[in-house]
Amino acid sequence: MKLTINNRPFETDAPPDTPLLWLLRDELGLIGTRFGCGVGLCGACTVHLDGVAARSCITPLSTVEGKAVTTIEGLAEGYEGLHPVQQAFIDQQVPQCGYCMSGQIMAIAGLLAEEGAVDEATLAEKVTNLCRCGAYVRIRRAALQAAAEVNS
Amino acid sequence: MSEKKRRWTITRRGFLIGAGSGAGLLALGVGLGLPRARLSIADRLDGATAPGGLEATPDLWFELGETGKLRLYLPKVEMGQGIHTALAQIAAAELGVTLDDLEILQATSRVGPQDSSGTQGSASVITSYEPIRQAAAALRETLRSAASEQWGQPLDQIVQEGASFFAKGDTATRLSFGELAAGQREWTVPDEVTLRPTAELTLIGQSVPRIDIPSKVNGAAVYGYDARMDGMRYGASAHKPSFEAEFVRLRNESAVAAMAGVEAVVVEGEAGFVGVVATTRRAAWQARDALDIEWREGKRWSQREIEELVTVGGRGGVAIQREGHAEAMFGQGTISAEYRTPLAAHMPMEPQAALADATGDGVRVWVSTQMQARTADAVASALGREVGEIEIIPTYLGGGFGRKGISEVAIEAARLSEAVGVPVHVGWTREEETQNGYFRPPTHHQFRAVLEKGRVTAIEHQQASGDVLFAYFPAPLRFLFGVDFGAWRGGRIAYEVANRHVVAWRRKLPVPTGPWRGLGLLANTFALESFFDELAYVAGTDPLSFRLAHLNSDAAHVVRLRAALDAVRALSSWDAPPAAGRARGVACSFDAGTAVALVVEASLDGETPIVHHVWAVMDCGQLINPDTATAQVEGNVIWGLSSALLEQATLAEGRITNANFADYPILPPARAPEITVQLINPTDAPPGGVGEPAIGPVPAALANALFRLDGKRRRDLPLV
Ligand code: FES
Ligand code: FES
Repeated sequence: MKLTINNRPFETDAPPDTPLLWLLRDELGLIGTRFGCGVGLCGACTVHLDGVAARSCITPLSTVEGKAVTTIEGLAEGYEGLHPVQQAFIDQQVPQCGYCMSGQIMAIAGLLAEEGAVDEATLAEKVTNLCRCGAYVRIRRAALQAAAEVNS
Repeated sequence: MSEKKRRWTITRRGFLIGAGSGAGLLALGVGLGLPRARLSIADRLDGATAPGGLEATPDLWFELGETGKLRLYLPKVEMGQGIHTALAQIAAAELGVTLDDLEILQATSRVGPQDSSGTQGSASVITSYEPIRQAAAALRETLRSAASEQWGQPLDQIVQEGASFFAKGDTATRLSFGELAAGQREWTVPDEVTLRPTAELTLIGQSVPRIDIPSKVNGAAVYGYDARMDGMRYGASAHKPSFEAEFVRLRNESAVAAMAGVEAVVVEGEAGFVGVVATTRRAAWQARDALDIEWREGKRWSQREIEELVTVGGRGGVAIQREGHAEAMFGQGTISAEYRTPLAAHMPMEPQAALADATGDGVRVWVSTQMQARTADAVASALGREVGEIEIIPTYLGGGFGRKGISEVAIEAARLSEAVGVPVHVGWTREEETQNGYFRPPTHHQFRAVLEKGRVTAIEHQQASGDVLFAYFPAPLRFLFGVDFGAWRGGRIAYEVANRHVVAWRRKLPVPTGPWRGLGLLANTFALESFFDELAYVAGTDPLSFRLAHLNSDAAHVVRLRAALDAVRALSSWDAPPAAGRARGVACSFDAGTAVALVVEASLDGETPIVHHVWAVMDCGQLINPDTATAQVEGNVIWGLSSALLEQATLAEGRITNANFADYPILPPARAPEITVQLINPTDAPPGGVGEPAIGPVPAALANALFRLDGKRRRDLPLV
């Protein structure tokens, strides 16, 4: 199967029902995409498929063929330095343990790419990624900062 | 300076290494031993500081390379509380250098300062503050005397500027720390050093950005789940179907061994261990699921049976606070109430994971653990090796919260690696994480009080809890204590009531229970602060003023708690009415040297509580990093609300039945309220805990707000 991951072609003979998450982590060493629940409930494994946020633990390889996969490691490609969402997460000192953060950043970056302007209500509705450390207030603040920058 | 001088030599790596430090490292496991842990717990409950127990010798903490980069090894692990940054700030401040002059490294169970207490209990800054300053000052003065020897100048003519020294009046002599080290073969380490005056410690109290954050936004941070080595395989092992089950035999070893991707099936019958090793994680999990094991089932406990065990009364109660004669005063007109909190899981976002590499020379294990020393002991005893052969290398933790004490997964990975002779990574599924760990114990609380003319004149708290820290104490101490210090954390009464009585019962449960964020603090504060609110209501007094009225003395912790309550009154506009349909509740606590007062504003949507705003004031004594402290308060508020609103581990047939987020929900982002934090920073109080104290008052403050909305007292967690 031929895949495109962070703009680079990749070929694998993993079974087509393999979740994308395990290919990324264990075959490609892209460890920034994290495992939290394995059933699509926490969002720690969020990546982009053609720019749209998706939970890679429930995304079989067979559905990814022909799509562009972006992981946290590839998010900043095309930007000077970091992606605005990543920068906002540093500015607001968001991460605590950090384990959910790749997923949070990918979910918010995907939402901003899709919707442009977002407000608090849209964020609350669309970004459902869990954070056990409880960094929600700062996640929200950083998302709004990035949204303002993306729109300016 | 004393006559006794310690001599050091430079190793071939060019680092400063204390003579004999190899042996010293191993012996230092006793550095922060149990008597001190006990003392520190008891002391903290009384609002005093815990004694530092870490060795302060600089050779354990620091390595100075010729590049001039100074390496600082930190025994505490980073799990989101910002401890690496905070400890680096303390070290840099005492050294008189910038954070950029330091390279921060995680100490392992073999390299760097050893700390048998691990990273827990909000104690890291409290117990490390002095030792780290001592070590930094000793290093600084050692370098100064090297400069004095090299330049033939008296010590008081040696001037420090950042990470360099020069001879007074001659900046041309300037040598960096690294250059000085390169030119020195024998070192004189002062036995006693003078610490810098507080005014010079300008880095302390600054919100410097956390050093671990950049790697947490670009995906580079390595957690236990991410540890990897060339040639490593994936492992998984079978777990008991119920808490009391015992392994009998594996029925289908050869069938599992023949599965695609499976390289080995490892059976250690006596240890009750069955595991598999495979080429991919998925193959390992599939093989583990295919294991057909015969178990001897024990009693399969139900939820109700466990709860009944955790009920106060009977023999074995231990008084943990007693002033006056409360019992004699109870009779007619006594106000009473009882509260319960349920079994709860930690749910760290990262499930248990470890990579082990067992060879003839030793075993290295990379693991997200809060307790490297205890994990080393556990791996050594499981493998029948000397603990000196084991090196536990903590990674970043994807959340700790007390769950990552002894890391069972480290033992599993080590067994499998030893059996197959290659490195093996074991990562648990979410369900394994939830079902095979230990839990926050259920608790039961009974209160009685006498109210006379609007004042509480007698109060009694009877508390029963499953174990929290009991297993962490050696047998003689368990006997001495009788009850579990961890379980009654937050259970004593700070309010000034002439007749106070607190009794605790230890209940040994068939379900494994242990430390959880804040230990007993959340349960005890929920019960105590709910009851005090009930008393305020009966007295017909404003609940915040009622609390203040019982905090009169000039004992330091009382003064600080009072100040926190006053501050939260202003911060939350307590005296102005909330918007229609909303109500506010207040609660406070003094824990780990830290005072917290907190106001929650909530409404009810039918039966569902909606939390709108939380105002929190924390006085954690001397602040190291205010922004990190603020983040910890925010996190504790969310955690406390999650417990208050949602969390309960359910048990049936001797096992936990809600094992993933679908049926063990934690607070989702949409339910996160606005949070306003204010820190009080008294310059004269020593550093207190930051990672947990704010958790205590959250559920009670919410329950107290809900009572004002519908007149219903919610005395069980979760509140709905
Ligand atoms: S790991 Fe994919 S959603 Fe939790
Ligand atoms: S930062 Fe720890 S889970 Fe979000």
